[in-house]
Amino acid sequence: MKRTLIVVGTLVLGAGAVMAQQEIAVQQDNLMRSQAKSMYGVILKMAKGEIPYNQKAADEAIANLEADVAKIAKTFEVNPKQAVVNATYGASPKVWQNKADFDSKIPPLQKAIADVKGKIHDVASLKAAYTAMNDRCNDCHETYRVKLK
Amino acid sequence: MESAMLRRTIYVILVTTVAAVAAYWWLTAPTALALPAPTRGPDLANGQELFNAGGCSSCHAVPNQPDRLRLGGGLALGSPFGTFYVPNISPDPNDGIGRWSEADFVNALTRGISPEGTHYYPAFPYTSYHIADIDDVRDLFAYLKTLPQVAGRVRDHDLPFPFNIRRNVGIWKWLFMDVRPFVPDAARSAQWNRGAYLVNGFGHCAECHSPRNVLGGVISSQRFAGGPNPEGEGWVPNITQKGLGSWSESDIADFLETGDMPEGDSASGSMRPVIKNLAQLKPEDRAAMAAYLKSLPPVDGPTPPKRREGGD
Repeated sequence: MKRTLIVVGTLVLGAGAVMAQQEIAVQQDNLMRSQAKSMYGVILKMAKGEIPYNQKAADEAIANLEADVAKIAKTFEVNPKQAVVNATYGASPKVWQNKADFDSKIPPLQKAIADVKGKIHDVASLKAAYTAMNDRCNDCHETYRVKLK
Repeated sequence: MESAMLRRTIYVILVTTVAAVAAYWWLTAPTALALPAPTRGPDLANGQELFNAGGCSSCHAVPNQPDRLRLGGGLALGSPFGTFYVPNISPDPNDGIGRWSEADFVNALTRGISPEGTHYYPAFPYTSYHIADIDDVRDLFAYLKTLPQVAGRVRDHDLPFPFNIRRNVGIWKWLFMDVRPFVPDAARSAQWNRGAYLVNGFGHCAECHSPRNVLGGVISSQRFAGGPNPEGEGWVPNITQKGLGSWSESDIADFLETGDMPEGDSASGSMRPVIKNLAQLKPEDRAAMAAYLKSLPPVDGPTPPKRREGGD
């Protein structure tokens, strides 16, 4: 009986650990998706004229982006050692092999956001802001973001 | 009686061995190309365009420094066959290609043969570059000569037996290298043909965007249909219409310039440096590549793993 309990207990704990890892991967994925929504779903689409220019939406997107970027270092603290089920993109294990380098990519992006904040008034300035910020996103994605399918 | 039998057996083995060695030697012998006389002087602007189309800088630029024109090499390129270390192709006379003749360069780029007459490994995509027009290759060589000299010889590749025997690459080329020249399709537009030339030649898109067999040969029936990243991490997408069906021609051309995707995302990983190169091209060359890519019939590629596990 005792042995059964230990076995069951271990299994439950093990499953819990697996769930926790997947949960971490999902949190990381969600944070990046939230940034993608501001960056590409709003700013890029507006810059390309696919959706009409809207000052309030542009300002909100910048504010959301700023808040999300501040969470990157903490959210990516732990290596989930797995990708989200069926995800198209994932984090490279290199993030945790070179965590200091990964973290060093964040302040330049924060600076780029601070530089454009409050200075976007039209499509042209939005477009310039998009490129300035996205170049900093790419500095990190080139090494640390992996396409999975 | 027994000794006659033995003698005959030894004789047969000897003859077979000699024949096998001779066949191996013949099959693996690098054959250099004799270069025809130039028909015109070098066009440096064209050389620069092809340098950017060919993505030379992505592999040959010195890693971890910002200047993409310092071609001192040194990047470690992982593969299932071992690690390749990208050579110095700056015009440095001692460590780069400063002392190369034009014929040396044409043979290297289109045949995968070094000035010393040995095979290069196909990590260097001469398997694509071989369709390049010789005048284009000459222009590229002239352009490379204008770039800064970078001193420093790069270490040897780190490959286990039998991949460390360069002569074996001769067999590989015989099995997997398509040596047919580029033949324009008269039924298609000049733009499409330019795109086909750039995508299949200098652009060498198929080298990463196609699955490979166990010996590293591109599976030609699934050319451009994507597959596991040959450098080891993640997946390279299908760029036939199976994968890009929802992208318009101008979506593809925009992507090649900016990395921005119509579904609202931006390129990452190894495609990022490729975009950096392609962004420098003339818009009409990107448009030509897009026109050709948009015309690729849908082909199913290998299936990516459902979930990536483990890792360190």
